[in-house]
Amino acid sequence: MKALDIDRRIIFIFVFLGVAIPLMVDFTLPIKPTPPVIAAYDAFEKVAAEKPGSTILLSFSYGASTAPEMQPMARAVLRHCFRLGFKVVAICLWPDGVGLAESVLAEVAEEMGKKEDVDYAFLGYKPGTIAVILNMGQDLHTAFPVDSKGVSLAQLPVTKNIHPLTDFSFVFDFAAGDSIEFWWIPYGQEKYRFPFAGGCTAVMAPDLFPFLQSGQMLGMLGGLAGAAEYETLIGHPGQATEGMRPQSVTHLIIIAFIILGNGMYFLSRRSSGQATG
Amino acid sequence: MTRDSYLFIGFLLLFAAVNAALLATGAIAADWTGFGVILAAGLTLSLYSFLYKDNPLYKFVEHLFVGVAAAYVLGLVWYNTLLAEIVNSLILGEGKDRWSLLMPSLLGALMLTRLVPRIAWLSRIAFAFVVGLGAGLTIPRYISSFILAQMEPSLRPITWSIEGLNLVIILVGVVAVMVYFFFSVEHTGVVGGVSKVGIWFLMISFGASFGYTVMARLSLLIGRTQFLLDDWLHVMK
Repeated sequence: MKALDIDRRIIFIFVFLGVAIPLMVDFTLPIKPTPPVIAAYDAFEKVAAEKPGSTILLSFSYGASTAPEMQPMARAVLRHCFRLGFKVVAICLWPDGVGLAESVLAEVAEEMGKKEDVDYAFLGYKPGTIAVILNMGQDLHTAFPVDSKGVSLAQLPVTKNIHPLTDFSFVFDFAAGDSIEFWWIPYGQEKYRFPFAGGCTAVMAPDLFPFLQSGQMLGMLGGLAGAAEYETLIGHPGQATEGMRPQSVTHLIIIAFIILGNGMYFLSRRSSGQATG
Repeated sequence: MTRDSYLFIGFLLLFAAVNAALLATGAIAADWTGFGVILAAGLTLSLYSFLYKDNPLYKFVEHLFVGVAAAYVLGLVWYNTLLAEIVNSLILGEGKDRWSLLMPSLLGALMLTRLVPRIAWLSRIAFAFVVGLGAGLTIPRYISSFILAQMEPSLRPITWSIEGLNLVIILVGVVAVMVYFFFSVEHTGVVGGVSKVGIWFLMISFGASFGYTVMARLSLLIGRTQFLLDDWLHVMK
């Protein structure tokens, strides 16, 4: 029964090896997109077919602490958006998301040959969360008079004709906190009824499934797995797909430890029962 | 010296030796970017040293992280909001509609009076406005989004299909969990049986949440490990 008193640092070592070795050894695991991710992909495709060349809004509501999950997701969605020919307007409702949003926009725009102010615009961070969303619902130019470089939105080709939120053909939020559940859905989608989908950290995903079922969200990407599934759908494997190898191996290690721990527990109960009985 | 002291010194020497080798071989550039990578790797390993034991290096880096994060947000809020919207617009008179910022700025200043006990009562004016506005905005939106919109999927007609089966499961789950949380009636007999079903639904959902949480935390570990193995050590293919 010494296994029940196993030093937790041994488990940490196994978990680390379960992460490190698959990253260094190249092997392929199948990634099967799930219905919520397929629904998000299909929603983008449908909007692109119905309103080609329209403008969509991407909201970056995450920070550096969740970048490993959210940056690959943002890259995949941005690649898809640019490939479909959307004009992209990006905002931040989290202060520490500004640098991350700027870097992913610049990286993917350069890769896809897109020009700032013409194909996309980054408006920066604005505090106020729900006040910003309500303000944008009436007029984007009031909520964000200038972009992140101080240029008036009325002068940018991407934003000069966009006023209320309903002028966007689609809104997508990258959420590390409760921005989808408590900001965008009640004060945005439910009030102004625009097509809305989101990507979130895996921790948040279970809380958002009710909104998928009710149709308030058209699709959802949950965590690194959701990002990997989206990369599979767009045919551009990246960091998320690479991360699913250690993810899968480490999950198996954790399952093995859970089975071992429970097995040892029941054996110890039986042996202590035999000892007293 | 204790064993932990030897381990600490050994870790520092190993870290220095690895970085010296990486710089010597050109794997890391000898410039500010390379210095940043080495610094980030050191801070990452220092934080993970907590997994062995709590130690002064971990404590220092933890405080450093909190301080840098707070300073970064302060810088952003100062330049984006306080300087741009209050100092430049309201005080220096740049931009139109500057006077519309007067009342919100005053209410914000009133909130700061909480720091002075003698005039802390003035902050109640600002809080009353925030609470009143918040309630007025929130209540109808939350009723619409979280109650009415969520009830609708539970009330769709049941059909002989997978969708119909899903609806039945959702309906049973919603009713059973609500019965479980209804404590005005003793949970015995039929009510007890239904509440037990509700407990099963709750446990299954907690299990799903736990599984997602494990995946989330592992994703963060994978991100950091990718940085250490690729950007720092350059051992990934």
